[in-house]
Amino acid sequence: MFGERTESDAAADEDEVLARARAGDRPAFAALVRRHQDRVFRFLLRLVGSREEAMDLTQETFLKVFQSLSEWRPEAPFRAWLFRVARNAALDLLRRRRSLGFLAFDELAPDEGEAAWPDPAPRPEQRLDDRRRIAALDRALASLPAEQREVLLLRELEEMSYAEIAATLAISEGTVKSRLARARAAALDHYQRDTGERRDA
Amino acid sequence: MPEHRPDERRPAGHRSDGHPPDSETVSAWLDGELDEAARRRFEAHLAACPACAAQVAALRGLAAGFASMRAETLGYDLAGVLDGRLAAAAPRRPRTPRRWLVWLPATLGAAASLALGIGLGSALPGAAAAAPPALVGAMRVFDPMPPGSVCLGPDPCYTKGMPR
Repeated sequence: MFGERTESDAAADEDEVLARARAGDRPAFAALVRRHQDRVFRFLLRLVGSREEAMDLTQETFLKVFQSLSEWRPEAPFRAWLFRVARNAALDLLRRRRSLGFLAFDELAPDEGEAAWPDPAPRPEQRLDDRRRIAALDRALASLPAEQREVLLLRELEEMSYAEIAATLAISEGTVKSRLARARAAALDHYQRDTGERRDA
Repeated sequence: MPEHRPDERRPAGHRSDGHPPDSETVSAWLDGELDEAARRRFEAHLAACPACAAQVAALRGLAAGFASMRAETLGYDLAGVLDGRLAAAAPRRPRTPRRWLVWLPATLGAAASLALGIGLGSALPGAAAAAPPALVGAMRVFDPMPPGSVCLGPDPCYTKGMPR
């Protein structure tokens, strides 16, 4: 696939790839997609809680990015813009779910959340402990309101700085800081209650 | 949006002991987002405070769990899939009708889930939220159906052919 590049190589020629993609160069855009598709996908997966919908949203995100790439200004960090497009698509979906009368993802009770959440793709190299931990974390994430979930995911999965998260979500860095602290406290509380008392070997 | 205030449920001992650092400080310290003075102050406190050390350890455990989520991949080459569709979609002309060709499948997916939602909504039990993704996926089979019966949007369904 595309694992041969190192991160620094990728960063070094990102500007050039972006410039070509903005000019409508499809191979350059394809390179951009390959570079970011997994990150966008795993953010969306944890944000909406459904693998299939996350796949659709990932595709939707990149189509939207391709069509509006000319509106993006190189002064703004591309990753923040990309994740903003992804996040807006996800929030549309969450709103649509609500208007369709389905339970919003963040209103699921923990047990139902567990049922609604697909298993993380079982991979042979992934240890059982990891999968258990991820399942418990998924339930903790599902218990958070979307505004806390997105902040937490941008920080923990994408490792964005507070400034970058603020740019992505169009909120202040102070809000990022307080929302992240609240999200962590709530996620940890849920996670510990989920895993702490009971241990199934 | 539900307003949760988890801060108020912070471990009781944390505040009553008179610890200076609040949860925002601990969180920002973990992220390396404290300024130099605040960082030193917190680290000096941390060295002498088992409660804060336990909190930090717990949050680090949480972070390690999130880190293992980074192994997740989309599982296919999206760029290749998109390229065919992009050939039909003109860049930098977001208002042209062709845009609809690109978005139509997503619209149909939403329409299909609406149609199903109306039919099944009342019958679904609490675990209903598990249903939509699978059902939407299943409805893809019906994509080539004549547009109109499940159309949510205004004109495009009636004036354009189906993509593919």
